[in-house]
Amino acid sequence: MTATKAWGAGIILLAGLVLLALSVGAGVFGWGEGGSWAQLRLPRVLAALAAGLALGIGGAAQQGVFRNPLADPGLTGVFGGALFGIAVLLGLSPESAWQRAWFIPAAAFAGALGTSTLLALIGSGGSSARLLLTGLGLNAFTAAGTLVIASRSGESRELLTNGAYGDWLGMATLELAWLPTLLCVLAALLLLPLARSLDLLSFGEDAARGFGGDVGRTRRQAVLLTALAAAAATCLVGQVAFIGLLAPHLARAMVGPRHAKVLPLSALLGAILLLGADTIGRGVWSQAPLSAAAVTAVLGAPLFIWIARRNHE
Amino acid sequence: MSETVIRALGLGVEINGRRLIDGVSLAAERGQVVAVVGPNGAGKTTLLRALAGLLPTVGELEVGGYDPRVIDPATCARTRAYCAQKPLSAWDYRVSDLGEIVGDSLGYADWLAKLHLGAFADRRLSELSGGEQKGAHLAMTFAALTEPFGSALILDEPAAALDLGRQESVRQAILAFAHAGAACIVATHDLEFARLCDSVVVLAEGRLLATGQPAAALTPGIIAEAWGAATGR
Repeated sequence: MTATKAWGAGIILLAGLVLLALSVGAGVFGWGEGGSWAQLRLPRVLAALAAGLALGIGGAAQQGVFRNPLADPGLTGVFGGALFGIAVLLGLSPESAWQRAWFIPAAAFAGALGTSTLLALIGSGGSSARLLLTGLGLNAFTAAGTLVIASRSGESRELLTNGAYGDWLGMATLELAWLPTLLCVLAALLLLPLARSLDLLSFGEDAARGFGGDVGRTRRQAVLLTALAAAAATCLVGQVAFIGLLAPHLARAMVGPRHAKVLPLSALLGAILLLGADTIGRGVWSQAPLSAAAVTAVLGAPLFIWIARRNHE
Repeated sequence: MSETVIRALGLGVEINGRRLIDGVSLAAERGQVVAVVGPNGAGKTTLLRALAGLLPTVGELEVGGYDPRVIDPATCARTRAYCAQKPLSAWDYRVSDLGEIVGDSLGYADWLAKLHLGAFADRRLSELSGGEQKGAHLAMTFAALTEPFGSALILDEPAAALDLGRQESVRQAILAFAHAGAACIVATHDLEFARLCDSVVVLAEGRLLATGQPAAALTPGIIAEAWGAATGR
């Protein structure tokens, strides 16, 4: 498939999906019927688009920097770190956490950057086992930390549990979502220029340096921006695994592995996947909607197993 | 401008407490081809990586006008190209993608054709044999060195996996770079090739056993000492 066709199909699909997402839901709002539509569905659709975009491109960047097709910010513990950061803030001072729009995103970023840095220090080296085992450990630790805080703080308990299940999209309001949405877009825009460095890195560190790539700087930038993308997306959705895995795989299957093509297409596909998952979750069982994370896990987990199998053959 | 393109003085590499390269001094001038030979495990690959500035080292080092350990990688790459013994790729690129990644598609296509790989441009790397993949990476390395005069070309066993026709093409490429004013350092097991070079560096157990013109450095006594020591004879 050529890049033009992939983009054309993707944009048409996304446009249709946006219209569908705006019209599907439990409440029956007509188009243009006062505030409820704009207040309830539009922020949710915008949040899903921004988070999906950040998850898709973040996954592609993480796979690129670890040279590993199984990397995904959900599986490698970066989302866990972001949620843990939010939990720590809510646990320490539940009242002041909401006073400024940037408090929650900053806490998420601190947590995500912490796990992302640990992952780069301990888990890199090329082997899937090392990367995923480190991610497993980070995930377990941050999940336990989040659980401990949630169990001890009455008012934040439900909020954090919903976050762990990737069920925050429903809370999206323009007041809460504008900053994380901007940060998602910012992280994606800043990741795009790393395309050539990530291409060079795929030939190994020696070759990348040999061709003039600054391996250390590429790695630092990718770690920082993946953490930013994951943190901003977590603020909007909570923890969602597999989008960062699925989107780059689909992108590579469509346009080949060049990062100049994979990074932007992963962003588009991530937005389609997350908005699609959220719309399915809300539309199919409208009385008891499923979270976007539940839908992506049902679709993503079998794919992950398939990729892991194929990777070892 | 100095004639010397690659100059190492007392170069040493220590990894995990093991001295892999110990006090190696060598020089390569513009237009010279220097062969690095020695038994398996002598440190040829480590020495080449050290010369390319890819390893932490002690000692003095100048390559293509810069100390590759302190200069920024992009500047360094303008006067130094390096091709590993076994190049790898995490993703299954098309052969033609490599030219775009290295930033000179035309030069790369030219080198592909010279290495008899022109017909493979649209294939994926995974569809190529090991030797053909190595050829594509060599073409990428050659294309990266757009200004050969006064530059360093560092190749780790460039011909080892190649068929006879491509071995000859690689040899011609090395000579062409030398003719254009580059200094080429080539690790090899092929002593016939080494005898045709301007200078030979014989390594054994990380140390310089002999260096100089092929006739002086590749005497039967030195060959017996280098390879005999490794085989335990």
